[in-house]
Amino acid sequence: MPKSRYRFNPESLSFDKVRLGFRDVLLRGLSYLVGSLLIAVVYYLVFASFFDSPKEKALIREIDQLTLQYDIIHREMENLNKVIGQLEEKDDNLYRTIFEAEPIPETQRESGVGGVNRYKDLEGYNNSNIVIETTKKLDNLKKKIVVQSKSYDELYELAKNKEEMLKSIPAIMPISNKDLTRTASGYGLRIHPYYKIVRFHAGMDFTAPLGTDIYVTGNGTVEAVMPSLRGLGNHIIINHGYGITSIYAHLDRFNVRKGQKVQRGDVIGFVGNTGMSLAPHLHYEIKLNGKNVDPVNYYFNDLSAEEYERMIEIASKTGQSFD
Amino acid sequence: MVKRKYFLDLNDLQYKQIKHPFWRKLFHGLLWFAGSVAVTLFYVSIIQKYFGSPKEQVLNQQIEDLSLKYSMANRELDFSLKDIKSLEKSDEVRYRPILKMEGISQIIRNPGFGGVERLRDLNGYMHSDLMRSTRERIEEMKNMLNVQNESFITIKEKTEEWKFEMDHLPAISPVDPSFRLGDRYGFREKHPVLGIGRMHYGQDFKVPYGTKVYATGDGKVIESGNNSGGFGNMVVIDHGNGLRSYYAHLSKINVPVDMNIKRGDLIGLSGSSGSLSTGPHLHYQINKYGSPVNAINFFNDDITEQEFTEMIQAFGSDSVYR
Repeated sequence: MPKSRYRFNPESLSFDKVRLGFRDVLLRGLSYLVGSLLIAVVYYLVFASFFDSPKEKALIREIDQLTLQYDIIHREMENLNKVIGQLEEKDDNLYRTIFEAEPIPETQRESGVGGVNRYKDLEGYNNSNIVIETTKKLDNLKKKIVVQSKSYDELYELAKNKEEMLKSIPAIMPISNKDLTRTASGYGLRIHPYYKIVRFHAGMDFTAPLGTDIYVTGNGTVEAVMPSLRGLGNHIIINHGYGITSIYAHLDRFNVRKGQKVQRGDVIGFVGNTGMSLAPHLHYEIKLNGKNVDPVNYYFNDLSAEEYERMIEIASKTGQSFD
Repeated sequence: MVKRKYFLDLNDLQYKQIKHPFWRKLFHGLLWFAGSVAVTLFYVSIIQKYFGSPKEQVLNQQIEDLSLKYSMANRELDFSLKDIKSLEKSDEVRYRPILKMEGISQIIRNPGFGGVERLRDLNGYMHSDLMRSTRERIEEMKNMLNVQNESFITIKEKTEEWKFEMDHLPAISPVDPSFRLGDRYGFREKHPVLGIGRMHYGQDFKVPYGTKVYATGDGKVIESGNNSGGFGNMVVIDHGNGLRSYYAHLSKINVPVDMNIKRGDLIGLSGSSGSLSTGPHLHYQINKYGSPVNAINFFNDDITEQEFTEMIQAFGSDSVYR
């Protein structure tokens, strides 16, 4: 077959040879490319609308299962939250029954300065760690300043005989109570558990299981070990010097003798239910120059700023004392 | 424009129109179609290699959205777990010690989940682990909540028992504590009437004739009236738990046998009835399982007269604390 093609020219009535210039070739090539692309798209769309590739099938299966499971999870979570809500209500009711007081929410805080989320608004910045740490340190410092500046005499004594005094002043909680859940009742006017009248409660109550270790809160001497079935029950009086004594009451057993020297953290006895007591608990009193003071001011060694505030809140809100 | 094309037939030197037979056209058409499919495949394979198909991209995006939802659900579950933990803590640390109950071991509280076997139908997916772990967490938490619920039910029952016990304990002074205490529990060298050494099983209160005597705890009157053993007009209240309180030598009795008594109820007036009394006083005795115990250990006299009155009033009225 011959290669050359001809075209009939009606004007000259002759056959002209068809010649293709470079432009024609280029144009034709481009139109082929575009055409093929268009056709490819059409094919693809037609194909894709009727069939899925294996990979797509797998993906769709994945999505279906994920959606299904998510629906289940969502439903289950709603149930969970409902049950949690019910249990929280039960918890609150138990709290009301046992402590005769409105429960304090664990995480939410109504108002006032500070609290658990105190440093939350400082989070999320590049240097937030440093800022938070610094703020915490500042708060700690502030608290210590308040405690220390209570009396210039104390400061004077502190300067004179700092080390000895710091070791002697009650500064920790008498039982292990880092999360403060054991704090039952604070200093001040409380409902008496048996008399059901509002009376002055001279110390702080910590609930704990029978036999829990009781730590002495500062260095000192055992002034008295008093076995008794009435009132404070078995109790220990520790003389810390500097006019400070601390009392640990309703003990089950003693671990020290009269006149013994004790150091902060020594186990001096075990939690009990002796004397006029509603339940196993420790009644902890601090006396300064013979007068009762609020023990909440004497936990500066083991509480951070926000824990300290939480402690104050818990201690001030409870309705009923335990002795 | 004329479409027709011609060729020069070298045999007869004439221009002839190019004509293709039908089979040839068909063949051309098929060839063209095959070519276009091949070209399409070529394009698609290139695009998929570098970009993935548009549909896949859409699907992948959906999957990504879903896994984001999962991680949000997990975040929420974290909070729920925290709530559950705080309930557990409240249970373990707050209530159980007070009610003298044993704690629940962590193995019972959170026994874990059956593992791979139970959610087998989730195997073989890209996000199998994600789905399974989320479901497992929920199942675990459901278990924890069940245990917690049971525990709270037990605690509630125990709390009611405890309250009942506390209300029934003879825990206050039967008379205004500003009155002086008389003879104590213990051996008396010389009985004022009998004149011989004899054990004194009660706690005496030096009260004038007609002083109000109150019940020291909730209970039931099991004896009321004249006692032949020398105690005169006597009331005995059974407080349960083996505890009974005795109020003797009364001049007037306010409560009949079988009456249910609340702490602070007026049961009578003091006097000097009975052959073993030499003057007005109250003999207050507590027996535990039949044997007398020292009654002084059952009340504190640290309460003032005013507080005592206030207390009795609080018991009498429907106080909010009851």
